[in-house]
Amino acid sequence: MIEIEDVHKSYGKLEVLKGVSMSVQRGEVVVLIGASGSGKSTLLQCINGLESIESGRILVDGTDVHAPSTDINELRRRIGIVFQSFNVFPHYTVLENVALAPRIVLGLTRQQARERARDHIAKVGLSEKLDVFPSKLSGGQQQRLAIARALAMNPDYMLCDEITSALDPELVNEVLDTLRMLSRDGMTMIVVTHEIPFAREVADRVVFFDSGTVCESGPPDEVIGNPRNERTRQFLGKML
Amino acid sequence: MAAVPFFSAFSLNDLMFMAQGAAKTLLLTLWSGLLGTVVGVVVGWIRSTRAPVVSQLLGVYIDVIRTVPLIIQFIVVNSGASILGAPLTPFGTGILVLSFYMGGFVAEVVTAGIHAVSDTLRKAGRSLGLSYWKDVRYIVLPLSLRAVFPAWIGLLLGLMKDSSLIAVVGYIELLRASQIIINRTEQPLQVLLGAGAFYFVMSFAASRYAASLERRWQF
Repeated sequence: MIEIEDVHKSYGKLEVLKGVSMSVQRGEVVVLIGASGSGKSTLLQCINGLESIESGRILVDGTDVHAPSTDINELRRRIGIVFQSFNVFPHYTVLENVALAPRIVLGLTRQQARERARDHIAKVGLSEKLDVFPSKLSGGQQQRLAIARALAMNPDYMLCDEITSALDPELVNEVLDTLRMLSRDGMTMIVVTHEIPFAREVADRVVFFDSGTVCESGPPDEVIGNPRNERTRQFLGKML
Repeated sequence: MAAVPFFSAFSLNDLMFMAQGAAKTLLLTLWSGLLGTVVGVVVGWIRSTRAPVVSQLLGVYIDVIRTVPLIIQFIVVNSGASILGAPLTPFGTGILVLSFYMGGFVAEVVTAGIHAVSDTLRKAGRSLGLSYWKDVRYIVLPLSLRAVFPAWIGLLLGLMKDSSLIAVVGYIELLRASQIIINRTEQPLQVLLGAGAFYFVMSFAASRYAASLERRWQF
């Protein structure tokens, strides 16, 4: 499980996380919603140590992410992350993008890594594109590739950081379908998204973020269907 | 027209002399190109990390190297080494000065190449569990290499031509060899055209090879 305890984080003078606490159980799908700049993405990047924190603590299966003694590279194998801006490796083919980390991080042989990569590429529906470079893929395909790349590490957790925000509207669903599949498979996920209907559909729990704090948290039917907090209501009013 | 006494016509020996000069130009270019690239990669990489103090000091090195005319650098190093009691051979002076000269230019190109790989792409690599060095080896290096390769080839070709200035400390490379022959034959146009042809052949081979590499790297 992921435990976030009173986390503070600033960029210079700008405080983006002002004492965030929450936890995510194994198998749970937690969706973070909230206005841009409310700290959701920063929180995700703190969870796998891509960003440092000033105070508080983040534990992943009991391991303190930001403790100097933690082997962060080992920890990151268990936490997949998919970004808004795809970030697939432009100089590797689809197959190589997915096979790279299993080979050089997990130590699989080239053959094993490719086999594993093929499985995950098939899962996201890109088997036709194995030897194609990402520049030849659509945004939706690139994002699915990024998901396959993260899944190929067999992570225990998946973090999704506004992964449909950079997509043309007609490509959003193919990526959301991939997430639906993951949630059916029981993957533990923290999903930052502006797709409120999607949040309502897949989330076990919805967390509303407002200016660096958790404002409201609960089952989707409560937080989205019947928000108690005024700011949640205002935000949803603008989104829906 | 009869040959003026004391001058003699261009001979096969002269061509050999020029070929030897060309070989020396090539040797000087390859060695200082290689060493300069090593210097430039290290300096450029350190500067890309924006490490305080060290980055600024290396910035001074780059500014000096890139602004002081090469001919002055040759003379200063050559005289300096003699004054310090450790005189250098002309070839040694050439390698030393040209390597640091090339290094200064390569450093800027390398820094730009590293910055050409976006932070978010590197984060994606690190998020898969790649260590810093694996990220450098598999993500940053191949991408920045492709980004800066044409600029680097340009520097190398420039270095080959700039290496002719080493003549001021008495090293007889292609251009100096040509001048010696001109003094004797009084046929500057023909000899210089020949020298130009040597330079062209050496540069052309390098740039064709570079172009074929770039095509292979396309993605």
